[in-house]
Amino acid sequence: MFRIYPKMLMFLAAATMLLMAVGQYAIWVYAPEEMTMGLVQKIFYFHLPLAWWSFVAFFGVCAASVLVLWTGKEKWDVLAGVLAEVGVLFSGLALVTGSIWGRAAWNTWWTWDPRLSTTLVMWFVYAGYLVLRAADAGGAKGARMRAVLGIVAFVDVPLVFLSARLWRSIHPAVLASRSGGLEPEMWTTVWINVVAWGALFAAVVLARYHGAGFARRVEAALVRIQEKTLQ
Amino acid sequence: MISSTLAIARKDLRLAFAGGQGPVQAVLLGLLLVFIFSLSAAPGERFSPQQAMAIFWLCSSFAVVLIFSLLFRFEEENDTATALLLSPLPVQGLWLGKTLAGLVLLLLCQVFFFPAALVFLGLDPGGNPGGLALMVLGVDLGLCVLGGLIGAMGHGQGAKDALLTIIVFPLQVPLLLGGIRIGVGLMQGVPLAALGDWFGLVLAFDAVFSGAALFLFPHVFRGE
Repeated sequence: MFRIYPKMLMFLAAATMLLMAVGQYAIWVYAPEEMTMGLVQKIFYFHLPLAWWSFVAFFGVCAASVLVLWTGKEKWDVLAGVLAEVGVLFSGLALVTGSIWGRAAWNTWWTWDPRLSTTLVMWFVYAGYLVLRAADAGGAKGARMRAVLGIVAFVDVPLVFLSARLWRSIHPAVLASRSGGLEPEMWTTVWINVVAWGALFAAVVLARYHGAGFARRVEAALVRIQEKTLQ
Repeated sequence: MISSTLAIARKDLRLAFAGGQGPVQAVLLGLLLVFIFSLSAAPGERFSPQQAMAIFWLCSSFAVVLIFSLLFRFEEENDTATALLLSPLPVQGLWLGKTLAGLVLLLLCQVFFFPAALVFLGLDPGGNPGGLALMVLGVDLGLCVLGGLIGAMGHGQGAKDALLTIIVFPLQVPLLLGGIRIGVGLMQGVPLAALGDWFGLVLAFDAVFSGAALFLFPHVFRGE
């Protein structure tokens, strides 16, 4: 049976609202406007947290998948599915915001860059993973099959990154240099938004996990009703 | 484990060629792809080495899906999968045998794809056949290692096994990029040493997915 945490969800939702409000204030009021790119640079404050949290989600899918194979418990399979959903959503938004940024900064909607390509390939892999989940492929051994896919998908990530880096790159190495070319106020804004999007990430994961728990309770109740009716 | 692996590979190859069929479906699909892509060039226009190599690997990638679908279909008939699982053969040996049989069938398909690419796409093989063979073997091994694992997932799924292709192709990306880059380099006369990074990547893919498959295959292919 799934344990649900309604109080924790309420707290997370409230904290997310507050942090998001602070994050938006920091983006539009506190952080200075970048001299070369102007207002478009502010996409960065959305793009970076979305990309980072999507990677956390995909790592979470792998970790939960390992736990499925180890313990055989259904809750880890459900958590892997929830994390994949949020990861695909966040990485999709990171790709869209990155593309808008790329158009303004590099005059191209898309370029073969390690980070962009890795994110796109991961988006494809995990979107496929979600399609397989929705199709209930695997039947009785479905949870184990999904777990294997969750692990294999994550194992591929460093190889995709390396291959794309060998191909070519024009992505700015924001964190490679000490200051990253950002003003201290900009850095503060980045971190506030990373935390705010992290809170949103946790709240959405927990809400979806609750949803899956309720769905299973309803299914179990329906089975009981059917059994009683047949008796 | 080696003898049982070879026995599985031998059995699968015999079954594949029984009735004179072999990987005909995969060969025909690959040839069709080469022909259709050749129509995208205007008369007299040549494909760039990168385009030609990409099409060659695309054909191989599609062939892998069909080959492993065929190899695992054998175990559905008469439920021989259960018999294999009950035999003293280590389950990893089963994966290795399937991978080996798939590798042989893929190489056979490429015997047809390569001349087709020469004729229809103007692929220039370059002057380093040894390097080319090494590249084909390295990339093919990776394709088959992954194909053997994913093929086992499709086993017993009926029409749903086609869904697995949407996850196989993105997973193959590093390998296909390696195949394209090394192939283009060799066609343009680049020495093998200068392609070391790409060869390293292809070998890393082979090694990482072989390890993953050895660990994960028993979780996928089991009696249920």
